[in-house]
Amino acid sequence: MYRCISCDKTWTHPVKKCIFCGGGIQCEIPGTMTVTGFTEVFIHSVNNEKVPYFVLLLEDELGNRYLKKTFENYSIGESFDPHEEKTSSPVFGVIGTGLLGLQICEFLITKGYSTVVKTRDGHTNHKTLSKIDDKLSRNYSPNAVTEILKKISVTTSFSDLSGCDFIIEAAPENIGVKEEIFKALSGICDKKTIFSTNSSSLSIDQLAGVTDRPDRFIGIHFFNPVKRMDLVEVVVGEKTSHETKNRVISELVDMGKKPIVVKDSPGYVVNRLLLPQINEAITLLEEGVATKEDIDNAMKLGLHHPMGPFQLADYIGLDICLSILEVLYHENKTGGKKARRSPLPAIQ
Amino acid sequence: MYIIGAGRTKFGELDASLEGLAYEAVSRAIDDSGVSIRDIEAIYISNFLGGPVNGQLHLNSMMSSLIPGCNIPIVRVETACASGSSAMNQAIIALRKFSNILVLGVEKLSGPSLIPQIDAIAMAENRTIEKENGLIFPAAYALIAQQYFKKYGISHEVLEQISFINHRNANRNPLAHFFQKNVTMDMIRSSRMVSTPLNLFDCSPLSDGAAAIVITDKKKTDRDIKILSSQIATDTISIPERKDLTTFKATKIAAKKAYAEACLTPKKIDLFEVHDCFTIGELIALEDLGLCEHGSACHLVEEGRISIEGDFPVNTDGGLKANGHPIGATGIAQIYEIVTQIRGEADQRQVVDAEYGLAQNIGGIGGTCGITILGCL
Repeated sequence: MYRCISCDKTWTHPVKKCIFCGGGIQCEIPGTMTVTGFTEVFIHSVNNEKVPYFVLLLEDELGNRYLKKTFENYSIGESFDPHEEKTSSPVFGVIGTGLLGLQICEFLITKGYSTVVKTRDGHTNHKTLSKIDDKLSRNYSPNAVTEILKKISVTTSFSDLSGCDFIIEAAPENIGVKEEIFKALSGICDKKTIFSTNSSSLSIDQLAGVTDRPDRFIGIHFFNPVKRMDLVEVVVGEKTSHETKNRVISELVDMGKKPIVVKDSPGYVVNRLLLPQINEAITLLEEGVATKEDIDNAMKLGLHHPMGPFQLADYIGLDICLSILEVLYHENKTGGKKARRSPLPAIQ
Repeated sequence: MYIIGAGRTKFGELDASLEGLAYEAVSRAIDDSGVSIRDIEAIYISNFLGGPVNGQLHLNSMMSSLIPGCNIPIVRVETACASGSSAMNQAIIALRKFSNILVLGVEKLSGPSLIPQIDAIAMAENRTIEKENGLIFPAAYALIAQQYFKKYGISHEVLEQISFINHRNANRNPLAHFFQKNVTMDMIRSSRMVSTPLNLFDCSPLSDGAAAIVITDKKKTDRDIKILSSQIATDTISIPERKDLTTFKATKIAAKKAYAEACLTPKKIDLFEVHDCFTIGELIALEDLGLCEHGSACHLVEEGRISIEGDFPVNTDGGLKANGHPIGATGIAQIYEIVTQIRGEADQRQVVDAEYGLAQNIGGIGGTCGITILGCL
């Protein structure tokens, strides 16, 4: 709240000078506030997907009023300390500050989840925050960005992830790197912490095997761009417990996502269908059957895909496409499934 | 200054487009007025969400397409849900320059929408303070209801009665959104919670519809209705900027000026059209308009005094709750109802010997209020 020091007029908008008397302005930061009203909202809207939630009407010692959204029940007359807000929302730990890692962090903090993000070295600490700040600034006012950024902390040490309820690992798509991360976390994190990987194709069972908690290990595969793509593949390994699966699904639904459940298998569903298609598109180009523009148009105009296979491959990144294809190829070779024709169409 | 013509469409989820609704209301108002569309010198359009819902702005030029060759000045006025009374107010001021002015209110909310309607309507609130804290429109009025209940120690029951009375009135209005909908107290009580303490039957619906009136500087026939006053007042857009949520300052200020200009007191007025976008809004309006003391409007409701047969008939057309709330058209539809009542043409819902009527039209959470007083002089 901004108050004129001469005539006592107040504004919620930051003004520099009083338009009534020309007086100077002081900014009043609320200390402890009292709950003077509330409503519990049952219908959802943009950015308020999880219902019900409460909106509190708060008043500080100076009589200034504020609104605050919360998921906790407060009663009239109860005091509200903005620094010690009641919370039952889980805390997330995100490992990796690549494209998806940063997008997951941005998504989580805009949904109000406290998030600890682990980077490899200290130099990237400031860079990580400024990248997220840039993205948030496109959609939120400067004050709101400041509020949202309070939810994130950046660290280089695994030990700062010890209190997280969920870990989402979004490190490079390399089984060795990921195994090292989960080995390190196993000794550090609380027993209840659920471990998850955002891997787009690697084996959940193999990664779960290096941890001390295969029952609380699961795949949570987000899609790029995270805040706009509703789908999340929840990848269930052989030892993943029902409790872990249900907890993850319920939390994703609360965030406004639409999870599907997938058994641990190479490429899961989306990439298992997509990458062979991209591969075949490349083969078509190699054989000179059509130009890459026409192949893209074929899929866009003929099958109503928003992007053609070449456009999409560029968007995903050719390096990532290659690594997923390697996984699918390797599995086919060892599993003896190469070029196997599904019997179902023949039956029908 | 007189109203010489009034016309409206049915309200509800309609097939008609924005243009279709506008054309129908304008045609009816012109037919009713006795003047030709060629005699209209200017048009004021009231519309709230043409941009974010229909993806259509520049509505004044859209209107020009509906009356090809006229090329007259047309202006759109937007003050959220109070756009109707504000357009009316601006048109009255313009009577210094023009003799015949048409005021059109139109809104198309059903069907494809650029952004979800509930988020579009939230644009009437502060985009940071309310929006970022999840205080969507029904939640804002719920907070007002919670504050009112706490201050005066009343329960939700009185709001249920308001909802019931409005639905009963709408059943006497063939153009109402919920005409012929049989609403029982049981349905009202057991409807789903929207935002505590308000449930579904405390909320007005999203309606499509249009209403138009023709105003003029000189009386032409005995059916013409005199405009006794039109006043607008504003208040802060955001809830935390107000000290008391149980009264709307904008209503009190605009009403005080309007009563003074019309030389009338609330007791002299035969019917009231009030802005019940949520039932709590109707309760507060009764007090802010001076029908009773603050905190005692529940007695007016419980004693049956706001029914069509009572001494303070309120929302005889069904109000926003049951007549419908096509936002831009709402304020003009309130005026249409008062004109119809004073002319004695309200049929089943006619208030006996109606001579004076007042319309209260609110924008946002009381951030704008337009008051119009009409009479049969």
